Amino acid sequence: MKDFMLGLAFMAAGAIVYVVAQGFPTMPSLQYGPSLFPSLIGGGFMIGGLILAISHGGALKGIAHGIAWRPAPERMRNLLLSLLPALAIVFYILASEWLGTMLCLAVIMFVMMLARRTSPILALGISIVAALVIDLVFSRYLLIPLPEGLLSLWG
Amino acid sequence: MDAFLQGLTLVFNFQTLLVIAAAAIFGVFVGAVPGLTATMAVALLVPITFYMDPTPAIAAIVTTSAMAIFAGDIPGTYLNIPGTPASAAYVGESHQLARQGRARETLGTNLVCSIFGGLFGTLVLVFVSPSLAEVALKFSSFEYFWLALLGLSCSIFISIGSKTKAFLSLLVGLLLSTVGLDMMSGAPRFTFGIPDLMAGVNFIPVMIGMFALNELMMFYGSSNEGRNVPAVHKDKVFGSVPQHLKRYWRNLLRGSSTGTLIGALPGAGADIAAWISYAMGKSRSKNRDAYGTGHIEGIVDASSANNSGISGAWVPALVFGIPGDSITAIVIGVLYMKGMNPGPTIFMEGGGLVYALFTVFFIANLIMLPIGYIAIRSAKVFILTPRKVLMPIILCFCIVGAFAINNAITDVWIMLIIGLVAFILARNDFPMAPAILGLVLGGTLENNFMSSMLKSNGDLLSFFSRPISAGLGIMVILIWLLPLFVRLYRRYCGASRDQSPRTP
Repeated sequence: MKDFMLGLAFMAAGAIVYVVAQGFPTMPSLQYGPSLFPSLIGGGFMIGGLILAISHGGALKGIAHGIAWRPAPERMRNLLLSLLPALAIVFYILASEWLGTMLCLAVIMFVMMLARRTSPILALGISIVAALVIDLVFSRYLLIPLPEGLLSLWG
Repeated sequence: MDAFLQGLTLVFNFQTLLVIAAAAIFGVFVGAVPGLTATMAVALLVPITFYMDPTPAIAAIVTTSAMAIFAGDIPGTYLNIPGTPASAAYVGESHQLARQGRARETLGTNLVCSIFGGLFGTLVLVFVSPSLAEVALKFSSFEYFWLALLGLSCSIFISIGSKTKAFLSLLVGLLLSTVGLDMMSGAPRFTFGIPDLMAGVNFIPVMIGMFALNELMMFYGSSNEGRNVPAVHKDKVFGSVPQHLKRYWRNLLRGSSTGTLIGALPGAGADIAAWISYAMGKSRSKNRDAYGTGHIEGIVDASSANNSGISGAWVPALVFGIPGDSITAIVIGVLYMKGMNPGPTIFMEGGGLVYALFTVFFIANLIMLPIGYIAIRSAKVFILTPRKVLMPIILCFCIVGAFAINNAITDVWIMLIIGLVAFILARNDFPMAPAILGLVLGGTLENNFMSSMLKSNGDLLSFFSRPISAGLGIMVILIWLLPLFVRLYRRYCGASRDQSPRTP
């Protein structure tokens, strides 16, 4: 079922890539333009997606018989938990400018450790130390301009 | 002789030896943290080498890159996350071995193979470099096109599971490689008006997203905290190494020589050397079925190849000033800064410097033995640290590491998006490695195709008009036809077996 859907998704993506690629400018002196490779890739997506969908075409019968795909509550919970690292990155992107890298990383680590039932005191300690070390190594030794945020007010 | 002694004194002094030891430890750290690559380690070293003399500066780079390539195997073995892309080829293999409780034995073998590969590559660098580089110099865009296609084809056909999925995964990588300004016409492609994307998608955030973030999401999506590796070590680091080396010495030699050769070819670095050697080892093995289930043979081939590739990449870099991989591309910049102009003249004017450089290569590879041993012994840190504590720290390294490449938040976005896509694909058994290879080689493939077409006025047959190019082309075609032949052969065998009982 999933492979069938992915096959369809690849076919759709291939079609989009192909159509977008046709809009790339070509130069009259060049026989093969900048659209050649993207078009080939788009075509490849469509062919590969088609093969994937056809080889798992049995899923269609399930849909035809009215069997709806409904995930179990536990699987749904796991799926949401797996999005936690992604949400943490979004949080960093949005908050790092004013909170600063060090605070952001500490918050991320603390929350993520709690999510896996680490004891709060241990999580707090490790988060603060690890955030300090990472920030120190990257901004002091490797001279990467990580945002300082609120902590810069301290000087 | 004077120059040789002068070279030795440049290396055997307190400052240089201290730099080598520090660089080795730095290399282990960067290599063992997933998402930080050997290339990144070298790039991060460049500002520090500003303040050094030429010999310690080069020593730092050589040692760090060799160490990082080995240390990349440590998280690969324990956590199934390759520390550097060069370990990606055999990460499944070594992780399977670790799950059988043979992590140290695997890493010990890895270490010895890496040292052997590194020394082998160094010997080639010292003795054969001019003639080898001449062969590589004869290559034109036609040969590079086929070479890139060969690497990509290998990535599909050595993958385990559905080849359709491997093919689609490769296309995802190739699509990413087309993002940015087109090399020929300068037209922007898939940049969506974002200035940071004009120069293309950076390889390192993609690698972090594909291998590290994806793995993190898998971890948070599973409810078991279970460590995949038994924490009690009964295996010795070097206990089984002589036995493995005795059994697989051919693989060791083949991996080292293939690695050196591929490393010496511009554009192909340690990661491609590992892929091709792994594929070669698999195709020539008597135990082909054991591959993918935790088989040390593939590791011997590939781990000697990636370290020999690092040394091999210096051959064209030193002799002709053409970088063999991304690390030597940075090195060439450092050499110019230090007044050592790479090219044939370096051997005439450099005096002791060239000998110093060769000596540094030997020391860098030999120091891997003690420091690598300590790294393997202390690799327990990776397993004894509960993953619920380790994973959030790795995530933070990923975020800061992705940002550090260009000091741009766009790279963090790229890591996030690629990580999400990779998560969906990996959950559905799509292999990730072809995608990474597609991204790395996509530019090489397209640019060489385009310049070949410019040279030959669009004549596609010109790809077969040069002997080496034709040979490589035929190899690629054979690789693609191989599954068909195998299927036909099996059908033929099956048919003859079906018929045999009927015959009286």
